[in-house]
Amino acid sequence: MTLYEAQKNQEYTIEGLFVEEAVTRRLQALGLNDGTRVKVLNKKKRGALIIQVRGTRLALGRHLSSNIEIREERHEG
Amino acid sequence: MKDKKTIRVACVGNPNCGKTTLFNALTGSRLKVANWPGVTVEKIEGQTSYEGYEIALLDTPGIYSLTCYTIEEKVTRQCVMDDDIDVILNIVDASSLERNLYLTLQLLELGKPVVLALNMMDIVKERGMEIDLHRLPEMLGDIPVVPVSAAKRTGLDILLHAVLHHYEEKKNAEYILQYPEEIENKIAKLEVMMQAHYPTHSSVRWHAIKLLEDDEEVKNEHPIQVSNVVDKSYEKEIISCKYAYIESVVKEVLFHKSRKAATTDKADRLLTHEWLGLPVFLCIMGLVFFLTFTIGDALKGVFESALELFSGWAGELLAGIGAADWLVSLIVDGIITGVGGILTFLPNIFILFLALAILEDSGYMSRVAYVMDSIMGKVGLSGKAFLPMILGFGCTVPAIMATRALETEQDRKKTMIITPFMSCSARLPIYVIFSEMFFPDCAGLVAFSFYMIGMAVAIITALVTSRIRKERTNNSLLIELPEYKRPNVRTVGIYVWNKLKDYLTKAGTTIFIASIVIWFVLNFGIRGMVDNPADSFGAMIGRLLVPLLAPAGLGMWQIAVALISGISAKEVVVSSFSVLFGVSNTNSAAGMASIVANVQAQNPAFGPLNAYCLMLFCLLYIPCVAAVATIRKESGSWKFTGRLMAFQVLLAWLAAVAVFQIGSLFLS
Repeated sequence: MTLYEAQKNQEYTIEGLFVEEAVTRRLQALGLNDGTRVKVLNKKKRGALIIQVRGTRLALGRHLSSNIEIREERHEG
Repeated sequence: MKDKKTIRVACVGNPNCGKTTLFNALTGSRLKVANWPGVTVEKIEGQTSYEGYEIALLDTPGIYSLTCYTIEEKVTRQCVMDDDIDVILNIVDASSLERNLYLTLQLLELGKPVVLALNMMDIVKERGMEIDLHRLPEMLGDIPVVPVSAAKRTGLDILLHAVLHHYEEKKNAEYILQYPEEIENKIAKLEVMMQAHYPTHSSVRWHAIKLLEDDEEVKNEHPIQVSNVVDKSYEKEIISCKYAYIESVVKEVLFHKSRKAATTDKADRLLTHEWLGLPVFLCIMGLVFFLTFTIGDALKGVFESALELFSGWAGELLAGIGAADWLVSLIVDGIITGVGGILTFLPNIFILFLALAILEDSGYMSRVAYVMDSIMGKVGLSGKAFLPMILGFGCTVPAIMATRALETEQDRKKTMIITPFMSCSARLPIYVIFSEMFFPDCAGLVAFSFYMIGMAVAIITALVTSRIRKERTNNSLLIELPEYKRPNVRTVGIYVWNKLKDYLTKAGTTIFIASIVIWFVLNFGIRGMVDNPADSFGAMIGRLLVPLLAPAGLGMWQIAVALISGISAKEVVVSSFSVLFGVSNTNSAAGMASIVANVQAQNPAFGPLNAYCLMLFCLLYIPCVAAVATIRKESGSWKFTGRLMAFQVLLAWLAAVAVFQIGSLFLS
């Protein structure tokens, strides 16, 4: 699934970034890489969303979020 | 006596790490420029001295990485790579250590002396987190790590001491991060090749790593044949290694991570709410303008009386010393009227910039990018493009410069086209004067309507441009949302003071000169000094434009003169009205009444509709010379600038004509 389909207040693990080269590098510099854990803090219908990653908040537009593959984080315990 | 030694220190850090606040705290009143908080686009220099050293501090734009994908990154990278730089002062937001240390690791790889300023320690404590200040430097190769609070100005002396000490020791950073063997082998090979080609090069390891990352700029600057070593870009692996190392650092030095206070999350629940976010933002902006007009007006009285006194006193004094009539006229009717009229708006300008600075420093602005993203997405821009537009409420010049933060050239150009439609503070006097003169019952509302019209025109223009160019809209908003914080009095103060200083400087230079020129063209004609301005040069020029302006209800030569002179600075429209209609105190009730009387004596039909068209024209036509020059500089194209100006004049004319013609139908 992609980040665009993610649910609010859920945690996910990034599986892959499928955006333009330059944007990929920016995302990586911000700490988004394969295997990074993110939490969706806020979400607009058909729009941008706010995620928490490495202790900071990022707002991502729809184009980005719909091209970031994620896997749902299993709840342990 | 010993000469003072000078060392050069570059302040580098992530956006929003409090870099500019720290820079301001260190350099104090000797600061040359204060930029919009958080939007440092050029490197800025300041001075301080400590223990016999002159320290030249360079403030650089905030960056996340030493790559070269954005203009800010390029500026900063060039600055730190400069051999002039003796010490790199890396400012780190302790409350988001994990992300900030990524830049730190890259700076360490440069091999220059690095001192780490751990900022926002107070926030860390507030949240109940703890940082192991012994283990952190150990894990970063024993560089000095100094906890500071830029906002509370603590730890600054220790920081400067650490910078000097570290500099005197001449100890360069150790390379603490080891990559996997495969990459390390390649780095070693590349280092040897680099040294063979560029024996004097200072940061060989960094360059080797950048070559492995396939960095364009490094490849172009130091071309060497590396294809046998670099078989692909190792960037992803290198980034992963850095973050893996940071995770291990954070695990060891940061305690009680989970106890983070949730104030920001709570505030965000309302401010970035799916439905309420936009109305809340509009209310906040409404409040800003409401305060600008009401509190500003309340304070204005003081300025008016002072100006009136001064004007009368200057007239008497000049007459007393027997100055020639023309000189009295030049000083009293020309300069004092033109410049003084503008100065009475100082309270409004003060409140406006104060409000904008507080909004920015609190961390709310980046939320606006998120809130506005859906709307901006519809017109083919990311929500981030809205930030320069808000800056445009203050002044178009820094707003145009702030478009640098946008990712693509296409977005930048488009934002440059629409930003001048945001009503800048120079247009505020025009709205205040003409609304109060012709719409005494609802002046505030009429003035506010131009802010709304400006935004609407901007958005429609963006929509039309993207339709014409048939662009594929990439809604690629990407922006960090910092923690909310109480605005720092010093940062806000410096910002507002600089803006007021700019305003005063403008009054003393551009508006001063424009007032003299206007006085001249209105008091001289072909046969020398004239008694009736209708015989002056100004009237001659103005009359040429009357046929063009007549359909917009602006068919008076005085208005033509005012509009032309308004290109030097928009406030000049107001000051030239004062000069044209010989009223020394435009911004007072009596002054306004006499302007209305004088205008209607010339043209009895000039009523509220005409005034509205005049304000509309002022909103839309060419921004001031300074803004045009900035657009030219930032776009790098005269053609683009010229076309934009033509478009603005045409749009202003069409809009004013449409409103006047349709309005006349309804009113008659």
